[in-house]
Amino acid sequence: MPTLLERFIPEAREHLETAATGLLKLEQNPSDELLVNEVFRAVHTLKGASGLFDVPGLTRLVHAGEDLLDAVRSSLITFTPDIVDALLDALDRVSSWVDALERQGRLPDDADGVSVEFANRLRAWLPNVDVTPAADTQAAPVPLDWLAELPEADRTEAFAEIVAGGAPLFAISYTPDEGCFYRGEDPFNLFPQLPGLRALRVFFREPPATLSETDPFHCGLAFRALVAQPRVEIEHLFRYVIEQVAIAAVAPEALIIPAGPADGEAADPEFLEDARRLLTARDYPGLRTAIEAWRGMSAGRAWPLSISHWLDAVLAAPLPNATWALALLDCLATGLVQPIGPPATTEISAPAVVTASGTALDLTPEKPMAARILAEQRRIIAMAEAAGPPARRVAAVEATVSHLLASLGWSLRAGELASAAAEAARGVPARLLGLITVLENRVEAAVASPAPIPPSATALLAAAADQPAPAEGTQHARVLKVDQAKVDTLMNLIAELVVTKNGLPFLARRAEEVHGSRDMGREIKAQYAVIDHLAQEMQRAIMDVRMLPVSDVFERFPRLVRDLARRLNKRIELKIVGEETAADKTIIEALGDPLLHLVRNAIDHGIESPEQRLAAGKPEAATIQLKAFQERDQVVIEVSDDGSGIDPMAVRLRAFEKGMIAEDKVDVLSDQEAINLIFLPGFSTSEEISDLSGRGVGLDVVRAAVEKFSGQLMLSSHKGEGTLVRLSLPLSMAVARVMLVEIGDALFGVPMDGVAETVRVPRSRIHRVKRSEAFILRDAVVPLFRMHTLLGVPRDEVEVDEEAVLVARIGGGLAGVIVDRLREGIDVILKPLEGVLAGIRGYSGSALLGDGRVLLILNLKELL
Amino acid sequence: MPVTVTGRSARFDGVCTVEEALPLLEFLRNSVDPEVDLSSCTWLHTALVQLLLIAVPQMAALPADPVLARWVTPVLTPATTAAVGQNRNFDG
Repeated sequence: MPTLLERFIPEAREHLETAATGLLKLEQNPSDELLVNEVFRAVHTLKGASGLFDVPGLTRLVHAGEDLLDAVRSSLITFTPDIVDALLDALDRVSSWVDALERQGRLPDDADGVSVEFANRLRAWLPNVDVTPAADTQAAPVPLDWLAELPEADRTEAFAEIVAGGAPLFAISYTPDEGCFYRGEDPFNLFPQLPGLRALRVFFREPPATLSETDPFHCGLAFRALVAQPRVEIEHLFRYVIEQVAIAAVAPEALIIPAGPADGEAADPEFLEDARRLLTARDYPGLRTAIEAWRGMSAGRAWPLSISHWLDAVLAAPLPNATWALALLDCLATGLVQPIGPPATTEISAPAVVTASGTALDLTPEKPMAARILAEQRRIIAMAEAAGPPARRVAAVEATVSHLLASLGWSLRAGELASAAAEAARGVPARLLGLITVLENRVEAAVASPAPIPPSATALLAAAADQPAPAEGTQHARVLKVDQAKVDTLMNLIAELVVTKNGLPFLARRAEEVHGSRDMGREIKAQYAVIDHLAQEMQRAIMDVRMLPVSDVFERFPRLVRDLARRLNKRIELKIVGEETAADKTIIEALGDPLLHLVRNAIDHGIESPEQRLAAGKPEAATIQLKAFQERDQVVIEVSDDGSGIDPMAVRLRAFEKGMIAEDKVDVLSDQEAINLIFLPGFSTSEEISDLSGRGVGLDVVRAAVEKFSGQLMLSSHKGEGTLVRLSLPLSMAVARVMLVEIGDALFGVPMDGVAETVRVPRSRIHRVKRSEAFILRDAVVPLFRMHTLLGVPRDEVEVDEEAVLVARIGGGLAGVIVDRLREGIDVILKPLEGVLAGIRGYSGSALLGDGRVLLILNLKELL
Repeated sequence: MPVTVTGRSARFDGVCTVEEALPLLEFLRNSVDPEVDLSSCTWLHTALVQLLLIAVPQMAALPADPVLARWVTPVLTPATTAAVGQNRNFDG
């Protein structure tokens, strides 16, 4: 089940996307109130959601953005491209932080400083410029030296729990504000509300006044506690006083602090030697017995006794940590305090949800937490009834409830929560409260019965008999968000199935040939036909799931084109056509970089400055078009511009200067051939190296990326009129079709899309040209290669009248490959060669055959 | 009244909020060898905890409420911490 944070990340990305897209549109049309509202809403929701996590930097920056947008919305300031720039920059930063959150579970270390800087930049646009840096709420690292002050019994128990796989521990240091009683706070009683509370210490910050002088409404107490509960839950409980609380993760060994004065008296050496021997031998039960016996003899002194109890605790763990035990034995040996673990100080910015031990927040065993959150929402709504405009609070409640639902894996009827919230925002909270009641009952039921609750919307709402049905009874299409890895797993399994079914024909043949049962063979074949059909259906279905629209890659370009155009003082309009065209996720992802290079190239090299364009009689604003469409089983993307086009002569000269072509070829090359030279590695016609492109990398990268996915690249250009680049890639690629060929004793595969045809060539028609061989295929000379020679496989010199030749398409031409036998084509899952095999040239991967053999897939292009 | 004073003894009943702080202070200041009975107390506000920590009255009876017994008792009677620390069946 996804944790709150896992749900937050995609959601945050969505909001960022919405905001960025909206901002770009707003720049065109600054007075569009709907758009302003849309962007504001996205940023506002993001801010609200981020508040659930320990990401103060992110929240602060988003908050600044929200304020700025609010000012725009209330027409206090007008939108300028500079404001858009600043906001987009801020959103980019937030987006990179979201990435960091996903990767590391926390913001980068510099996030706080960067956030203040960016936020100030944003706030500088606000009418009443108030650039006083926001109070830095980030606390210094929390020293944990006070852990020793907690009762030893509590510490031991907490230690035993965590080493036995319990929830990670956090240390809380809470120093309430002196006037907190006046605000109705009750600091002490917050602690028992934490079910994970393991130890608590209450003390006076300063020596208290005497009874006769004391002010009973002045809080002089401070609190320190040890809690085995996820950090977010702790933060949630303390959310109103969070700036007075320091929370830090506690490593188990930090708890091992023997009580009593270290007396400098070494323990019995015989016992120590014995103990160390047992420890080295990992004989933990034996060691515990030895300690027990020793304890009986050395009663009296507090410190060694305490150490012996800690040793017990360490050894009682399911997997005792020998280092800790050894350190404790050292304490006994020297009679002095020895360090057990790393220094007991951690940063407060410890991961919010994913903790040191990697345990992620999971609400499953803690439904009461859900109940408390719901109760809290009820209270907030009640507040809204009494005081002020309820809209914001209701929005917060709505967000929290939907997060909660998501994290519990439950869902409501689409729109149910939103419409209830809308009513509540208008001051009629009855329905929202009703929903919360329903959910509370569900939570209670979930606690009572450990069986999973059916996550169906109707089941949830069936309990809400007294709830009015939503006015609009329309059932929206239900969208299920699934982790991509799960889909990938499913696809891999189906692909394995597709390949495994290939084993059935082998079996059928064995039934016929080995066991002589033709009937059995036929039956197996009949079953095979059915399974084959089903497997193909499954494959098609899962492919459909993996299909993504190309808009996924296209959507970053409006921003990119805008930014680059502004920087280069060019005027460019971007047209996007066919963004709904879908292709497999891998292909869509693979398209990103090539397209980026192509668009950058077009902007940098292709498009002229507005003056040049006017002089050439073109409209001042240039057009770049991204067009996607499906053509048979290929997805085709075209990037075209109406810029200056490519000058074939300039390309020829440049290629000659760089020594890429010989002088005599300069004139022979056709214009199209010359233009294709720009795909050679290291080619660049640009005079200067700009930071956009022109580093001599780019187009060759594009070609390599496209060819890696068995795609094709085509470029056409007319000087002065513009350039068109066409990429075509297969729609999907998980299962590859290969042709089996026999060479020597071994079986190899050749990717089917590279096979032009197969022919049998009589020996007499094979011509020798010096050392090479060739044959004539429909009036064209096709060079011939002997696979045996290329692979170094010995060949039985049996005279054959004709050779089996596989004609392959290689780099635009044809080549013939002589093999021993041509076999059928089969579906395989192509796995790249990994590990020590990765460097071997000539193979593009391996696959498993139906009969369990490993098939090597030849990469003819590399071999020839 | 959650806090009832009888002679030199104060009895805490149910939820004792910050409202009780002034009467409690009054009682603690004016009694010789005061004594408190927390046996039926179920909620003890921080302000009251603080006063009890300053005054250190006699404990006539410790809280019976399991949460208070686990977390308030050790605070008010540090010496018996270890003994009370063993009793902790409340947090299931």
